[in-house]
Amino acid sequence: MRRAMTARKLQMAGGVLTVAMLLASGSSSASGDMAAKAGSAGAREIYVHVPTPEGIRVQSTELEGPVFATADGHTLYVWPFKRMRVGYSGEQKGKPACYDEVLKTTAGLMSPYPAGAELPELDTRPSCAKLWPPVLAKADDKLVGKWTVVDRKDGTKQWAYDEQPVYTSILDKQPGDVYGGFSRRSGGDSPAGRQPIGPPSKVPPGFDVKTTTLGRLLTTKKNYSVYSYDKDTPEKSNCVGECAQVWTPLIAPETAQPQGDWSLVVRSAGVKQWAYRKKPLYTYTLDQRPSSLEGSDVPGWHNVYTQFAPSFPKGFTLQDSIAGQVLADAKGKTIYQYNCGDDSQDQLSCETPDDTQVYRLAMCGAGDPVRCQKNWPYVLADKGTTSISRTWTVMSIDPKTGHRATAGQTDALSVWAYRDRPVYTYAEDKAPGDVYGDATGEWRGGRNGLKAIWVRDDFFGGGQ
Amino acid sequence: MGLSLATAGAGAADFVPKDGKIGYAMTDLYWAIYQTPDAKQECPKGFNDGPREQFDKLFPAGKKRTVADTQLLLETKTWLTSPEPDGFVFKEIVGPTSYGLNLDGKVDANDFTSPTGEKGIDNQLYRALGCVIGFRGPDGVEYIFENKAISQSRYNRTMIEITGVDSLVNDDDVKVTIYRGLDRLLTDATGNKVMPGGSQRVDDRWGKKLIQTIPGRIKDGVLTTQPAKQMIIPWMNLGVPTFQLIRDMRFQLKLTPTGAEGLIAGYADVDIWYKQLIRNDSTHHLSNGQISGISLYKALRRLADAYPDSQTGANTAISSALDVKMVQVYINAPPSNTITAAR
Repeated sequence: MRRAMTARKLQMAGGVLTVAMLLASGSSSASGDMAAKAGSAGAREIYVHVPTPEGIRVQSTELEGPVFATADGHTLYVWPFKRMRVGYSGEQKGKPACYDEVLKTTAGLMSPYPAGAELPELDTRPSCAKLWPPVLAKADDKLVGKWTVVDRKDGTKQWAYDEQPVYTSILDKQPGDVYGGFSRRSGGDSPAGRQPIGPPSKVPPGFDVKTTTLGRLLTTKKNYSVYSYDKDTPEKSNCVGECAQVWTPLIAPETAQPQGDWSLVVRSAGVKQWAYRKKPLYTYTLDQRPSSLEGSDVPGWHNVYTQFAPSFPKGFTLQDSIAGQVLADAKGKTIYQYNCGDDSQDQLSCETPDDTQVYRLAMCGAGDPVRCQKNWPYVLADKGTTSISRTWTVMSIDPKTGHRATAGQTDALSVWAYRDRPVYTYAEDKAPGDVYGDATGEWRGGRNGLKAIWVRDDFFGGGQ
Repeated sequence: MGLSLATAGAGAADFVPKDGKIGYAMTDLYWAIYQTPDAKQECPKGFNDGPREQFDKLFPAGKKRTVADTQLLLETKTWLTSPEPDGFVFKEIVGPTSYGLNLDGKVDANDFTSPTGEKGIDNQLYRALGCVIGFRGPDGVEYIFENKAISQSRYNRTMIEITGVDSLVNDDDVKVTIYRGLDRLLTDATGNKVMPGGSQRVDDRWGKKLIQTIPGRIKDGVLTTQPAKQMIIPWMNLGVPTFQLIRDMRFQLKLTPTGAEGLIAGYADVDIWYKQLIRNDSTHHLSNGQISGISLYKALRRLADAYPDSQTGANTAISSALDVKMVQVYINAPPSNTITAAR
């Protein structure tokens, strides 16, 4: 009952949100205010209500849309099986592999370094299950929809979704936190990561929704972006003739019915076009890659989002580079995030301030925190600034260690964090739009290194 | 591998481009490496070791290894570079022959002679790369994949448009404008063979800073440009949007109505050159070409021969040459004011 009420509220709140609202304030660099404007609409993605076991519910989140969560709001994750450069990691369906065992050596999953090297800081290294508590089931729990129960080798039972064992993350503290992992494509050689799970988005057949930096992007099932047009009305498409040759109307089946955010516009007798939040929908014939934003360069045309990501911190800017648009600080310096997963069979994270800092300090300063600060300075938050969302937070960091500062620590730095991970600039970037630090570190910055936060990439899979 | 200009002018004799302009898009790009059978002339001591071979020598099997003392140590040296020796002997090219151009107008002891006998060839990058398997054709990992990316990725769609062309064989005064295209290349039905006659929109947003015009002339069907101060060549290999920066860049291209091929030559910025390599290729990829980033960087710094740093005096750029092939395309350039504004 509670869920249904929430859904109705979301439908009522759901005005038409397009990326134009985010980028239409007349400045190519200001973003925080623009994002705040879009975010203020507060629309949230509608999802399909699927059966869930007792104690598991759906939680709306800022970046991932609706996800499954425990009763107290902890996001649920799975750890899909993944082929690595040498061997495999993750979990096969129905077979939990994350236990309360501390692994001590590398598995040699990533060429060229052989297996058997001792992992860092073994005295404090956690087990997989300590970081990823399994969501346990009772002995008499029954199957519910895609939810099944799998046996753990210690005799306990664990919930699985689509046969993948389900976990929570100790990184998530509040309902809506999704700090343990993300659903965005992160490159073939990234760690075998944990992914949030959630109910299907409520979209007609042929559509899909993708998590991007700017929000949950509406696409076709083949991942091509969907657009709306300013000159259309809720009842009529005004894109006909030559326009419709460039912008392909998304035609609905004859039997299609309006539902929720989705409605139908009659183009001609017997030909109906899908509309979302009262805007007729199209694809762009010149789009040459999935999840493109190129059509939004055409005046009057906009990508469509089911919900926007939270606003960027005040003062952050967007900068054009030769590869697309990156997030930057107030001076135009590109902002980077650090990515790290170790080479254990567990593929544990080494990218948050709570993890070992041995990897990060090696990459940014050969183990020297001072050199790290010089090469990759934290993006400092102005005095008195506090977190603005669950996505963009302000955290207190001990610059000598890279860990969180202790309460009252006088030399602590107040820094901006994205998804609870500090963000950085790069000393070698001199001018706005410089992205010399992108893909620095092991495996193109995906395993022990840094990547720029791309807001738009027209040419590559940069994580836009 | 080097491209011959010996048949310059073939097919171009009676061709006059419509409106005096013709466009070409880059399809192939290799660092010019002169190779003899079995490399006996240029690499008599064999080829250089790569990361796997060096790892085995540094950390013999059977001894306790830690991540910090092995993997992280080597990755740190790869990313936080130093010109200081690394303890491995680096095998440089010792032969007298190289592709390339005489960039400085001089003939000195470090210069090569071209296969056609031209002296004073400046290509110290060849001296560094020539005995590294990964850069040699036909099956070196960089030779294959860096080139493959040129035609496959729109990011790498470097184009030139030659204007003011009265003849594709001889014209003393033409203009060459460099653009980036936005579209896929036209191919035959297999999708593998690039065909002339495709059209390309110009990227005047992200690629705005790439646009520049340089003067040139065509003689016996070969276009030679004056040096541009610098050229940015967008060159993404494995999904990282990097580029090469070539100072004093000039083209020497044999032109036909359907394509162009020849050389891009100039001084490559050493740090940008190196980062373009290692940001795209992880140590794994480098290992497959026996490319030690650590050793190669030191060689690049040692052999750099131009653009001394104002404070340290160390050279920051290295003479280089690229083999290039292009296919004829129709370029839909933006309004002239857009191009002018970008210069």
